[in-house]
Amino acid sequence: MRKIIIPFLLIVFVILLSQCRKAEPFDEEIYDERMSGGSQTVFDGTSKAFTHVFTGLSSYDERIHDIGDEGFEQTFITSPAQFNGGLGPAFNNVSCVSCHHNDGRGFPTAGQQQSGLLMRISFPGSDEHGGALPVPGYGTQVQDVAIFGKHPEAKVNISYSYNQYSFPDGETYELREPVYTLTNLHAPVNGSYLLSPRLAPPVFGLGLLEAVPEEQILALADMNDANHDGISGKPNYVWNDFTGRRELGRFGLKLNTSSIMVQVAAAYNNDIGITSHVFRNETTYGQPLQSDDLMDDPEISDSILNAVKFYIQTLQVPARRNVTEPAVIRGKQIFKDASCSSCHNANFTTAVNVGFPALSNQRIHPYTDLLLHDMGPGLADHRPDFDADGYEWRTTPLWGLGLLDAVNHPATFLHDGRARTITEAVMWHDGEAQQSKLYFENLSRADRDALLKFLKSL
Amino acid sequence: MNKKILLALYFIFILIVSCKKEKEDNDDPVTSAEVLDDFANILAKPNYSDIQEKAGLLMTAIDSLHTNTNSINLINAQIAWRAVRVPWEQAEGYLFGPAEDNSYDPATDTWPVNTTELDSLLASSNALTLADIEVLQYSLKGYHPIEYVLFGVGGSRVAAELTVRHLQYVVSLSQSLFNATSALVTEWDSFSVQLATAGSGSTRYATQKNAFLTIVGAMQKICNEVANNKMQKPLDHLDSSLVESQYAHNATTDFTNNIVGIENAYFGRYNSVYGRSIHNLVADKKSSLDHDIKAQITSTIASLDAIDPNYGYAIFNQQGQILTAQQNINALFDLLRQLENFIHANITN
Repeated sequence: MRKIIIPFLLIVFVILLSQCRKAEPFDEEIYDERMSGGSQTVFDGTSKAFTHVFTGLSSYDERIHDIGDEGFEQTFITSPAQFNGGLGPAFNNVSCVSCHHNDGRGFPTAGQQQSGLLMRISFPGSDEHGGALPVPGYGTQVQDVAIFGKHPEAKVNISYSYNQYSFPDGETYELREPVYTLTNLHAPVNGSYLLSPRLAPPVFGLGLLEAVPEEQILALADMNDANHDGISGKPNYVWNDFTGRRELGRFGLKLNTSSIMVQVAAAYNNDIGITSHVFRNETTYGQPLQSDDLMDDPEISDSILNAVKFYIQTLQVPARRNVTEPAVIRGKQIFKDASCSSCHNANFTTAVNVGFPALSNQRIHPYTDLLLHDMGPGLADHRPDFDADGYEWRTTPLWGLGLLDAVNHPATFLHDGRARTITEAVMWHDGEAQQSKLYFENLSRADRDALLKFLKSL
Repeated sequence: MNKKILLALYFIFILIVSCKKEKEDNDDPVTSAEVLDDFANILAKPNYSDIQEKAGLLMTAIDSLHTNTNSINLINAQIAWRAVRVPWEQAEGYLFGPAEDNSYDPATDTWPVNTTELDSLLASSNALTLADIEVLQYSLKGYHPIEYVLFGVGGSRVAAELTVRHLQYVVSLSQSLFNATSALVTEWDSFSVQLATAGSGSTRYATQKNAFLTIVGAMQKICNEVANNKMQKPLDHLDSSLVESQYAHNATTDFTNNIVGIENAYFGRYNSVYGRSIHNLVADKKSSLDHDIKAQITSTIASLDAIDPNYGYAIFNQQGQILTAQQNINALFDLLRQLENFIHANITN
């Protein structure tokens, strides 16, 4: 009997062992690719697609989100005021929503009520933290509007030249090239200055991007192009005024900001002229003629700043659409074949965070690597920003791309809104993206359309 | 003679068959395309035209006040201001399309008024012509700065207080407002085609479902904005200075008209003219939801009617009524979420 039992047990043991598998990620097919924001994905293809609050928040957190929503929409006015005071003295616009319409992009004009484009300015070189070198009397941003009795720092002029091009198959397209100049400077500038236009980007999904572990971003970096694919990918390490540390940049069009808190506080300060506990001085500090002469700083409470930061942190990502259409599937493959996906990285998984389950361990599809890339001379601003040089921009997250026209009609693309169609945006790519652009350029009309359909499904 | 009688009878017959009872509630089956067409042409365009017309009347009333500054003309201008607020606030019940794309809401209805800057402006040498007004910040033009001049802080304005500068400013403000409302009418004229052709050639709405979801999303947004922002913020702080439209004590009326705007959107209705509507679609397929939405709109408006027109007074003395109205609006919001699900399930184009 024993002679039978022992071999039998051995066989069972071997069978059991053979069933053991090392833990490994699920296959791609298991995931629903529509869920761009993981569990924080919203199925809304309308103009309100970027405005939805996270699910699964406590009622208390939902209330904080709502207060942040109010703060985001709040119009600031000139002090002294019973409430909403503190505007300026010099500023770019009067509220967050003035530039981020429907939590989306701004319009590529400057100095007007609906404008969403601002101009960064600096001298060549860097400050003590490696950031842009401020221009005396201007800082690092031109505030082109002012309260009554004060002077806008300058007028930002935008003009375009238009050039016609053709694809090899004869289809034509047009690129408009902007020229940016400053006039009516409020104070002399001693030396030549550098300018960099920045169009307000959408603000949804930022909480998820902030939760991506640093090692996942750095794993995609290839600063010296060790794999010789012509694409590098560089992290931007930037100074955080709030923590007093140098940290990995995640936000801003050149990744010059490391946290949502600093992004929000800096926007209040630079764009609206609102001081907070993070940035305590007006942007006109040290300019006697531009001072508001009020001892009212900080002009927003910590609570409102925190609520607006929380609002931004907890905006859902819109779901992809039409993912089973054959043309979209074909376009997805072309996106990969053209190496677009080498920079517009589809997948990240957010860090486990037991304190914030809604953000924790989410598989997301932002289509960015959160790294800097040389985009060629056509897009270059020639203005360094921490480790970003004058040719480098961050990889724009493509999630929500196909909804921009619904949210911010008429949609524009790229860092300054020069592109009026996705085709134009692709054809502006150069530098590290040159091969991808050429690949797109030489596709058949049907394949170009398929790629565009894929991009519009994002 | 016989011919004349016959002709008369013929005209009487034609007149009788041409007479159409004003339909209040069309329960005939309707198509989603018809609903969108009527939404654009029976509701939205007449609503925006009404705003324009009443903005024109306000401009005329303010011109009269400018020419002859007396208490009668001030009251007439105040009445005209309240009158234009009605269609505007109702249009806010479905704020999308040109009003959203081109920021007409902040351009004409920014709150609060930048009173510090306004006082500086009046004290300056600015000529206050229409051209001067057009370049001002949104918080210095539109409905509320006009309200500030016409009604004054606490609604205490008397004609004798109005200076030449006040009058020049408010004349230009009313022209600017009229121009903005006229531009909005023009833009809705072309946009209405986009809405009506959703899913069949529209460049704005690839599907009808998308157009319906846009409408319902706008209806939801105003619910949230009224109940949890405009009503709640002054209540949170027990501060009447946080109340919108506070100079004319018009906040409660504004809230009510926002909900009437939702009602208009649901019934595809404007000024008692009913079109084929979302209500018809819902009644046909899910009558229980239709019943609930109709009942909830009615009770929401009734609960708002129970609040004093002076909301700054109500936050201290009618907190129970305010809470009831907020609960009603939030219940309406929840039903509009169900309406959104209905759209997803039933609008297939």
